Amino acid sequence: MGLSVFSHRSSLGVILTVLKARFLIISRYRGSLFLESLLPLVFAAMPILIGVAVAGGDAAAGQNFLANVGTADYKLYMLLGASVFIVVSTMLWIVGFWIRREMEMGTLESIYLSPAKRIHVVSGIASYAFIRSSIAFVAALAVGSLVFGVNPFRGEVYAAVAFLLLGLVPLWGLAFLFGALILKIKEANSVINSLQWVVSFFMGVFFPIAAFPPILRYVALTFPPTWMNQGVRASLLNLSYFFEAWYIHTAVMFVFAAVVPLLGYSIFLSTEKRLKRKEGVGQY
Amino acid sequence: MVHKGFGLARPGILQSLHTFWDMSKKTIVEFSRYPVAFIALFVQVFLIILMFMFAAFSFVAPGTGAEISRQFASVMVYGLIVNLFLSFTVWEVGFSIREEQFRGTLESLYLSPASKFGNLVARIFAVLSWTAAMSAFAIFVVGMLVGGLPAKNILLAFGVLGLTISGFLGIGFLFAAVTIRLKESAQFLVSFVQFFFLIFSAMFFPFSALPRFLVDYVSRWLPVSYSVDAFRSLLIGLPEGFPELMPLNSELVIIVLFGLFSPLLGYLVYRWIERKARATGTLGEY
Repeated sequence: MGLSVFSHRSSLGVILTVLKARFLIISRYRGSLFLESLLPLVFAAMPILIGVAVAGGDAAAGQNFLANVGTADYKLYMLLGASVFIVVSTMLWIVGFWIRREMEMGTLESIYLSPAKRIHVVSGIASYAFIRSSIAFVAALAVGSLVFGVNPFRGEVYAAVAFLLLGLVPLWGLAFLFGALILKIKEANSVINSLQWVVSFFMGVFFPIAAFPPILRYVALTFPPTWMNQGVRASLLNLSYFFEAWYIHTAVMFVFAAVVPLLGYSIFLSTEKRLKRKEGVGQY
Repeated sequence: MVHKGFGLARPGILQSLHTFWDMSKKTIVEFSRYPVAFIALFVQVFLIILMFMFAAFSFVAPGTGAEISRQFASVMVYGLIVNLFLSFTVWEVGFSIREEQFRGTLESLYLSPASKFGNLVARIFAVLSWTAAMSAFAIFVVGMLVGGLPAKNILLAFGVLGLTISGFLGIGFLFAAVTIRLKESAQFLVSFVQFFFLIFSAMFFPFSALPRFLVDYVSRWLPVSYSVDAFRSLLIGLPEGFPELMPLNSELVIIVLFGLFSPLLGYLVYRWIERKARATGTLGEY
């Protein structure tokens, strides 16, 4: 441990240093920040165009969507789904890729050898992901509203923001789970790409999960981002919450917020411990 | 003849072929170490199809689901196949260069006398074979879901696909060049371009779904649009209204030109940017 002194201040120092380092790195790649804010637009545009093609026109698409989903504003529905998805995706992507890149660059073992606690290093990364994903959400919604000509402020805006913030807490836990998965299986690129589709599928980014067969619906309901997505949509588009009442919806999200981060971190620790004992964390 | 800068290496076609073969083997060995990734790709294709099918069902008027979904599914799945080839070609070439930058091996690779062209092409050889397998899987899955898909004019459609893949190689080379220059941002650019073509080349829906001005001012200027249009129109049996952009013969001319000139142009741009990066010493920077 050398001359290291452990205190709350030094712990906070580690988190802030990691955060600063990540922002310094991304500041070198401003183009990626710009393009990141455009991706949800493209992501939302696909189902909108599919809808117009299937229904045979904009008006028919609105009518059919109202009959099937409960709102005629299918553009805002898709935009909200895509914007919430970019939050989830950014969180998972940043944490997953961070571990993978440290592995590839051969610096993951060095991090383990440093006196800084991993929880603080990972918290720094997770905080960075939290800030990046929040910025991505706001940018996507703002630009998307202009492009698609929709008004995102027509419903219960404060409730939507509350659902979004509450939904971000379990995402930290999912990010740890994801990190554990990357540590275990190594190859991140394809897994991240595929998991993004798994996530968007179960979140119901493009459709209500009521369209799922019962088993899939139950699986989707155990997935915290599904609740975040529905909470945001229900408050802004006046759709029904899961189990109808907003307070049940909120209560379930609080449970997720309390349980998932602890669960995610404990799984991350046990995976890490097993790897250190068997093969070391430097292998990739 | 032994070039003094290459030691005992003999640059030529044989050496290029050896490089291509060895690099392909290396890529295949690398992939074989990550079986989860291989399975994940199939899962990904399956989920993409399911997700868009569910999205389509949300827009179907009650009582007309099965018929419309079969009609829509054939347009979507044949577009998806072109999209898969485009995505993997562009992503694999661009991303592999980025990986070499990360690992710090890109400069070493360029210091070796191995053929640079063979190196670039080898990166996508293995991926293309797997993309073909995934395409077959996509057709099988969607066929099962909607009770069969039309598959007419198969030979001509394969010809169109072959030329299209050749054209995509050019785009892949361009992205390799862009990766050398833009580094981290190139990944997002690749994602963006994938989505750009997905929408403006109407890969998941007919061109009639796009606003008219977008078709006229964007889609018609992209050779990829003609590839998508011709490929799926041929396979669904050229029904009335298909191809949507031009008569088939005119589309075929554009596709042939795209397949022949795109790789040449892409490779020239790649060499130019690569030479610039070597001259300024930024090749290994990331």
